[in-house]
Amino acid sequence: MRRWAQKIDFALILLVGILLLFGLMILCSASTAGTGAAPSDAYYYVKKQLAWVFAGLVVMIGMCSFDYHVLGQYHRLIYLGTLVSLAAVLVLGRNVSGSQRWFLIGPARIQPAEFAKIGIVISLAKHLEKKEQLEGFADLLSAFVHVGLPMLLILKQPDFGTAMVFGGVLLGMLFMAGASPRHLAIIGASAVGALSIATWLSVAGILPILAPHQVSRIVVFLDPYADRTGAGWNVIQSMIAIGSGGLFGKGLFNGTQAQLNFLPAHHTDFIFSVVGEELGFLGAFTLLALYLLLLWRGLRIMVLAKDDFGANLAAGVVSMLVFHLVINIGMTLGVMPVTGIPLPFVSYGGSSLITNMAGIGLLLNVHMRRHKITFR
Amino acid sequence: MAKLTAMEVRKRIALVFLGVMFCIAVLLVRLAYLQIIQNNWYQEKALSQRMRPVPVDAKRGVVYDRNLQKLAISVSAEAVYAVPAEVRDPRATAEALAPILEETAASLEEKLVKKQSTVWLARKLDTQTARAVRALNLPGIGLVERPQRYYPHGKLAAQVLGIAGIDNQGLEGLEFFYDEYLRGTPGRVVAETDATGRQIPAGVRRFIPPEDGANLILTLDHVIQYAAERELARAVEETGSEKGVFMAMDPKTGGILALAICPSYDPNDYQAYPAQHRRNIAVADIYEPGSTFKIVTASAALDEGVVSPSTRFYDPGYIKIGGVTINCWRAGGHGSQSFLEAVENSCNPVFAELGAQGLGGERFYKYIRNYGFGEPTGIDFPGEAKGLVPVPGKVQWGEVARWANVGFGQGIGITPLQLLSATATIANNGVRVTPHFMKEIRDGNGRIIEEFVGTETRVIKEETARVFSQILRSVVVNGSGSRAEIPGYRVAGKTGTAQVPEGGRYTDRRISSFAGFAPVDDPRIAAVVVLYHPKGQTYGGVIAAPVFSAVVEDALQTMGVPRRREQEPKSSASLFQIQDVVIPNVLNYPRDEAESILHKSGLKYQFHGDGSIVFEQVPAPGTKVPLGTIIQLMSHDEVVYTPGDESITVPSVVGLSMREVASKLAYAGLRLQIYGSGIATRQDPAPGAKVAAESVIRVYFESPVS
Repeated sequence: MRRWAQKIDFALILLVGILLLFGLMILCSASTAGTGAAPSDAYYYVKKQLAWVFAGLVVMIGMCSFDYHVLGQYHRLIYLGTLVSLAAVLVLGRNVSGSQRWFLIGPARIQPAEFAKIGIVISLAKHLEKKEQLEGFADLLSAFVHVGLPMLLILKQPDFGTAMVFGGVLLGMLFMAGASPRHLAIIGASAVGALSIATWLSVAGILPILAPHQVSRIVVFLDPYADRTGAGWNVIQSMIAIGSGGLFGKGLFNGTQAQLNFLPAHHTDFIFSVVGEELGFLGAFTLLALYLLLLWRGLRIMVLAKDDFGANLAAGVVSMLVFHLVINIGMTLGVMPVTGIPLPFVSYGGSSLITNMAGIGLLLNVHMRRHKITFR
Repeated sequence: MAKLTAMEVRKRIALVFLGVMFCIAVLLVRLAYLQIIQNNWYQEKALSQRMRPVPVDAKRGVVYDRNLQKLAISVSAEAVYAVPAEVRDPRATAEALAPILEETAASLEEKLVKKQSTVWLARKLDTQTARAVRALNLPGIGLVERPQRYYPHGKLAAQVLGIAGIDNQGLEGLEFFYDEYLRGTPGRVVAETDATGRQIPAGVRRFIPPEDGANLILTLDHVIQYAAERELARAVEETGSEKGVFMAMDPKTGGILALAICPSYDPNDYQAYPAQHRRNIAVADIYEPGSTFKIVTASAALDEGVVSPSTRFYDPGYIKIGGVTINCWRAGGHGSQSFLEAVENSCNPVFAELGAQGLGGERFYKYIRNYGFGEPTGIDFPGEAKGLVPVPGKVQWGEVARWANVGFGQGIGITPLQLLSATATIANNGVRVTPHFMKEIRDGNGRIIEEFVGTETRVIKEETARVFSQILRSVVVNGSGSRAEIPGYRVAGKTGTAQVPEGGRYTDRRISSFAGFAPVDDPRIAAVVVLYHPKGQTYGGVIAAPVFSAVVEDALQTMGVPRRREQEPKSSASLFQIQDVVIPNVLNYPRDEAESILHKSGLKYQFHGDGSIVFEQVPAPGTKVPLGTIIQLMSHDEVVYTPGDESITVPSVVGLSMREVASKLAYAGLRLQIYGSGIATRQDPAPGAKVAAESVIRVYFESPVS
């Protein structure tokens, strides 16, 4: 029993626990005012999220209760299942404000793209493990196809933010798997370049590659005041919220931007703005520090991993978390375009939480089975 | 697979960790920039976007007359507003309010769903309506007190005061002209609101009080104004005029004492009246003045020394000038007359000659402009007309004829205000002052913040003004203006009965007017009366002069001007020491002898024909004529007419107006002697009688009973 306990990364669990509590606390404040759907119960969202936290813990425990190599054996099935669920949501899913992202199962809204992240992390980890080498572009091609398919399905919804996370996970995993940094830099740069050209063509009205709302998001990213009451509103309000928070913040429940409903989506995508407003620079700094520690634990597990598959899994989960963090927080600070990406463990939302907890479960799993011989 | 060595893997992981640290560092730097460096700026932004100002109307300044009688005040009236964001059921709300506010439910619903923080539904509610709305107690519907304009005297001076709109903004008249002063500065309540504009009950509130508008004190006197409106309305009614103007001013200061325009309207309910009732026609509209304009011609001619009061004129009933014939209103003319009498008689040929020849276009124009015609007087009122004045050298055809016409008030467009200003100039010793309504503007504490500053222009010499005042006095004493006289107050003035041109021709419509001032020795008030298109009697001296008399009498009493009891010199002749002489008989005298006899008698003469013996003299010997009268002498070989030829049949003139009678008899070659006024009722000799040319027909006129 002591041995078994030694194999568990308690620090990681502790960090995740603190983040979850932090999230629930800020959600108490953020969801009490003007979330629209909130009925008479002020803590409706908190209670729902609490239920998701327990579900997430179950998923986490579940994900480390078996040898992760079992997942490697079923990697084809997992990949196929991921693609099927992504294709199915396009046909059977529920359309909410222009994008088809959710399945409605009972009272829950399930977002398959969230679970697809884990599915792709697992299947790509196995795919890369099987690769002999990653020297040339040709070697990378199969990996691109592997991630490209689900990415296209997600872009079709459309969900540009999640697709971007997939791209990030792919680059992160390729780098850790040993692909040439030069190649990845070229690929990354050309992706950014292609996106810029597509944007330019769309903005100039030459070729409408991007949807109008995507174009406007990029326009307001460059200058939020170009459409201050429209597409730029979120960013402006978010920056006002964070900026007015100051060093110590306005205190929980006292953030005027969130409480008076100036800040939209303040319990979901823009929850970091509430942290910045109500808890100030110190609160935001603390949250970022917690994330940094979490990522450090994740990278440590990657180093400790018994084999490439385990390392790849860890690399995937860490990449996923890094991209979520940077894109979400960058968005609230006005240094990233607005995309509908939640803040891990803190934003309200079940699918995202379950996915992240599953990722943590994978990390714990890889950590627990780092010494093959002793564990057998 | 063995793509990387363990060493390389560690290196890459370290690199990734550094990358992650870098990303988080960038976010932290950005965070610090927003939260620490830009903190104040963002705090202000957050505050300003949740602090919405709710405007609080300033109280509009009061308009007073010169005695501080309130003419326009601000009172609070309740208004209904809606906060669309708080209205739960727009349709039901609209349906509940519709019958109370007397508006359709559809249009109310449209307002209730507007994307505005507040929408006005109805204003100036009476208490009953306000109570009914309050009783409904609908969510999102509120009542608030708003200052509204109220004119306590109703129609009094309505066209002068103008109107202010529902948002307390001046729209017309003095309310518009002095809006900047009257309006004040609105204050506001700054209240904390949420993103949809709802006020937060426990939120921050700050009250910035409004700055009330300044008070406007006018030169008007409400007593005179009341008298003016009463008398004008009566005259308009009795004469069947389309509209009328009475405008009075203090000739020394230019301050307008009263301006009545009939028909009028109630500014408290102005929508109920035709829009043209709101027009200040005394300032904004021009008309062709007719005889009252002779004030300008006569005073200019006197000032230039072209004439003196005793200068003799002979009016045969017409004058041929600049290729056109101008008839005197009196058929057969006024014969021999002094300039004084010509003014009393309002003799068109004399003024035509003065305009076209005595003064001539250039000089005449200079005086017209100096009197202020052809340009705005500069009165403090919006929309003043400048008038139409021909320019010497720029008259398209018949320039001489044009100036002849202008001489007796045709072919020129002026406003009643311009005529008043010119009349007041004579009363003010020849100095024209800017007419104005505003006496002073005072702030809420009674401090004067502005006083009217006008300009002074000398138009005619002081002596000219004094002499001409006496001439105008004699118009009232002896001439057509007799009905303007007020016992004890010596009135000076001039009547006018102008034909109304339309499409290049004169119609049978008239504009009757009187312009004058009183008392003549120390004028305290100058006034004009203009009656547009009267029916029946149209003579200015008959219908306009009494209005002047009635109002000015009230005004002078109000102003405390004492009546004078002593006699004043009766005849105009004695006024200027003009003697009458009996024309001596020079018939059958040799020319030089006849001329010598006339010269010794103080008469002038004109010799016609090339004979040497006087065969005929006009006027006839034995006639009493003023000194200096020109006697027409004819030699034997020139026959003007044959006496004793009783070949003219007297036409019937019964039932005709005075002017029609005059023209009919003149056409027949007969002279008219007038008895009474109005419509011809009797004539002597009777129609059909045979008489000699130039025989006098006595015609008796009576005013039709209305």
